Amino acid sequence: MSQKKFELPMRRLVLDGFSFSFLVMVMLFAIFNPTEEQQLNLQFNFNVFIGSFLVGMVISYLLNASGVKTFGEHLFQPDYKKAVENRPMLKTFWGWHFIGFMLLLIIVGVFKTKFSIVELLNEDGFGGAKRLFAGIAEPNWQILPRAVLNMVETIFMAFMATILAIPFAFVFSFASARNIMTGKVSFAIYLALRTFFNVTRSVEAIIWAIIFSVWVGIGPFAGMLALMVHSIASLAKQYSEMVETVSDGPIEGVQSCGATKLQTIWFAIVPQVVLPYISFTVYRWDINVRMATVIGLVGGGGIGTMLVQYQGQAMWQEVGTIIFVIAVVVWIMDQASAYIREALK
Amino acid sequence: MSDPILSIKDLRKTYSNGVQALKGVSFDVKKGEFLVIIGLSGSGKSTLLRCINRLHDPTSGQITFNNSGVKTEIASIQHKNDIRGLRKNVGMIFQHFNLIPRTTVLVNVLMGKLSSVSTLRSILGMFSKADKDDAIKYLNLVGIKEKAHIRADQLSGGQQQRVAIARALTQNPKILLADEPVASLDPATCHVVMDYLKKVNQELGITIICNLHFLSLVRQYATRVIALKDGMLVYEGDPKNIDEAWFEKIYGAGAKEVHIN
Ligand SMILES: Nc1ncnc2c1ncn2[C@@H]1O[C@H](COP(=O)(O)OP(=O)(O)OP(=O)(O)O)[C@@H](O)[C@H]1O
Ligand SMILES: [Mg+2]
Repeated sequence: MSQKKFELPMRRLVLDGFSFSFLVMVMLFAIFNPTEEQQLNLQFNFNVFIGSFLVGMVISYLLNASGVKTFGEHLFQPDYKKAVENRPMLKTFWGWHFIGFMLLLIIVGVFKTKFSIVELLNEDGFGGAKRLFAGIAEPNWQILPRAVLNMVETIFMAFMATILAIPFAFVFSFASARNIMTGKVSFAIYLALRTFFNVTRSVEAIIWAIIFSVWVGIGPFAGMLALMVHSIASLAKQYSEMVETVSDGPIEGVQSCGATKLQTIWFAIVPQVVLPYISFTVYRWDINVRMATVIGLVGGGGIGTMLVQYQGQAMWQEVGTIIFVIAVVVWIMDQASAYIREALK
Repeated sequence: MSDPILSIKDLRKTYSNGVQALKGVSFDVKKGEFLVIIGLSGSGKSTLLRCINRLHDPTSGQITFNNSGVKTEIASIQHKNDIRGLRKNVGMIFQHFNLIPRTTVLVNVLMGKLSSVSTLRSILGMFSKADKDDAIKYLNLVGIKEKAHIRADQLSGGQQQRVAIARALTQNPKILLADEPVASLDPATCHVVMDYLKKVNQELGITIICNLHFLSLVRQYATRVIALKDGMLVYEGDPKNIDEAWFEKIYGAGAKEVHIN
């Protein structure tokens, strides 16, 4: 038998360590009830956190080494070990570890979101909400034409963002596919692009909208640019994942005919990915229409901007009309894109 | 006898994972012959063929290609364009046909012209009339001209392999490599495809190097046989002379010949 290299089960240790340090922090808060100034002392709190985190990791290690299975171990253990689990969860250590951790999270969550049944049932506030709902339930159809006009703007914002993203995403998808970018230089480009897209994607479209509305001014153009940037990153990732799953047969086939790299991509890979590409793109347009609505709230133009204006003046009947228009369009887009994607299978 | 069309000397191939697939193989291929390579699974047959058209890069050794007097040292070609030039002369067909899905038979066959058309023209689909005529001519030769405008993935396995043969012929190659061309076909279809390869060999004079598993096919089609075992050459000669003793040497003691037909 081969000697297996000793490896620390890092994922398990991190989860267990975190759950322990979380417990310690909560208990310290409960006992000492720190002032706001003390809560803001990041350096000190961080040190306490890390200290207890390390202690937790050690405890987790010792527990598992002595045969007591922690929640981290249960979650991250290899499949062959999972197969022999047969005790009910409530009779295991990991089960109580998990339940305790969840309960603690929920308790802290309740405090952090200032969860308050009292506020929810408060006379004044509840009355306001009633007026709001009454307004929404009785839309002012007079502004319907303008709402429709703005919705059209939103739809086209999403449409142009999607269309303009396609060529970029198409080209980048091959340059960020592992199976195409063989060789040293190509691999460096691959890594750079992947990182770039991951970062771009992790910045939400609404943030891009804020950036572009400063850059090109508030309006549909800013919204379109924001959606486009986000779409390029998302599509390039989805496209390149498709490229990575193509079968090698056709590639070898055309290469044996003396195809260049570009010819190989065009003739052997594109036909294999074109349907999924279209499917992803239609779906992206669907998503973009929904995002475009939200983007409008921060000045990206279209129906969202209109919504935020009426909402600011508490004109709930008008808001009702706008919500109605958005709901109808989103529903239609959702159905249409589902049908189109179904047909492309 | 004239110079061999291919002369392979001490060819070795070690994959990046350390597997030694070829451990010093030497043999000659005569012009116009139908050479069959046999050997157990994993003995290095596919690796050998793929070194010849440089789908794989040999680790060491020589593969000398004699194109009517012009000699090329295949194993030491470096530049991509030279590899392209080599592949113009060496066609290949595969066990799983390796056609392009969702694409017509005609376009698949036109792939054979990729090495002689500029990248831009080919991507724009601008193949010349002569190229298309050539493609149709070879489709006709393998008896499926009427399928030209059907999608390749709609054809049966045997028909797909014939498309693959037409594609390779469109390259106008001097050598045709065939890696287990009938291994995924039923026995009857298998003979149809082998008969077309024989026709290509005899009527067009194209040298064929073919990996096969069934000895009955080897006896029927090969003009000469070589056998690989663990990356080494263990037999070279006339297919009719493979007797029980040789069979055991190639496939291991206790192996029994299976017949298809
Ligand atoms: N791309 C590769 N990377 C690493 N090892 C490989 C690769 N291709 C083949 N090998 C190994 O090289 C050896 C020879 O493989 P090869 O495919 O040439 O055998 P073969 O004779 O064609 O077998 P079969 O009859 O199964 O097709 C095998 O041990 C195989 O596992
Ligand atoms: Mg093989």
